[in-house]
Amino acid sequence: MNRVPSSLIDELASDLAPVQPLRLWQGVALVAFAAVATVLLVELLDGLWHGAFTGQASPEFFITNGMLALLGAAASFAVVKMASPRVGNSHEGARWSALMLAILPVTALVMLGISGFFGTVTSDMYGVDCFLAGSAFGLVTAGALTLWLRRGAPVSLNAAGTYTGIAAGAIGSFTYGLACPVDHIGHLGIWHVAPVVLSAIIGRFAIPPLVRW
Amino acid sequence: MIADEAEMASMMAAAQKGDAGMYRALLAEVQLWLERYYRKRVAPAQLDDLVQEVMLAVHHKRATWDPSRAFYPWLAAIARYRWVDHLRKVYRSAEDELGDHDAPEDSEEEAVMARMSLERLFVHLPEKQVEVIELVKIEGLSIAEASAKTGQSESLVKVNIHRGLKKLSALVEKAE
Repeated sequence: MNRVPSSLIDELASDLAPVQPLRLWQGVALVAFAAVATVLLVELLDGLWHGAFTGQASPEFFITNGMLALLGAAASFAVVKMASPRVGNSHEGARWSALMLAILPVTALVMLGISGFFGTVTSDMYGVDCFLAGSAFGLVTAGALTLWLRRGAPVSLNAAGTYTGIAAGAIGSFTYGLACPVDHIGHLGIWHVAPVVLSAIIGRFAIPPLVRW
Repeated sequence: MIADEAEMASMMAAAQKGDAGMYRALLAEVQLWLERYYRKRVAPAQLDDLVQEVMLAVHHKRATWDPSRAFYPWLAAIARYRWVDHLRKVYRSAEDELGDHDAPEDSEEEAVMARMSLERLFVHLPEKQVEVIELVKIEGLSIAEASAKTGQSESLVKVNIHRGLKKLSALVEKAE
């Protein structure tokens, strides 16, 4: 069998410089920083809904935003781990969290019925605004995770792209959700979940070319 | 014999700190390991190129190994990623035969190797997809030859290769 020339080994060894290993906590800190920055951005641009903290919000407000925050955390953690390749990496937490979020539109459908569901979709005057704003605010997280993946060595590019999109959509929708006083399931279960779906699709196709190595 | 997990992790940790001597020793071990890892799944004439490619990837991405984690699963993930990439790109020439060029098995490493082997990826694919990937992408048959040999239509051969490679790339990290 031919052998790789030892000149390559010599060359790589002579090029060696000390490196700081990529640490999981650094990635987690980066996402946390992006999420906090997004909340501040929402406060600056739209203003948070202070009624949420004075007992005016419905249970659906807390349940929806709590689920979005958890999904954002789980998907972000999966992406952060993907930057360090390893056989045996699984992303079950993020997968189950994403499935869990589907409870919201299903609940809206069950509560409102098919005609009521579609009626709410078409008549909700704030729906599209929340959908677009949630998606747009997710760009901060998407940027942070893309930078992290580019520093790393992701080996599952499509999954990395999809989970980056899910994390971005969930955190974007969560942060904008803190500014949205429309807190019934017909609005939250549709328009605050839709950014996650849109971002996942965009992430699946837009992120892999940016992080390929 | 190839160095064990603890030795490799120790050498890699030293390499991350800039110890060139340790790094040289590590790369020699990595080279041996890769040659064994790929031996049945890459044509001999392409083996060196692929091994070199992975060694360069190891060099450029050495910061992505976390010293608190095992070394071999990290190396195997990179090796699998580059292999799937290689299958997508490379078309083996007709004169390259897959011969019996296997290195002797090292029994101490067998369990670790088995968990992370390339065969592990193939068990997740339908037999028809594995068959045509092996024939066309590894043994170098044309689509028409693979079609004649397997009884699958030419378009089905193409579809099965496409779907198989897509699934392989999704399994790089997961399958163990």
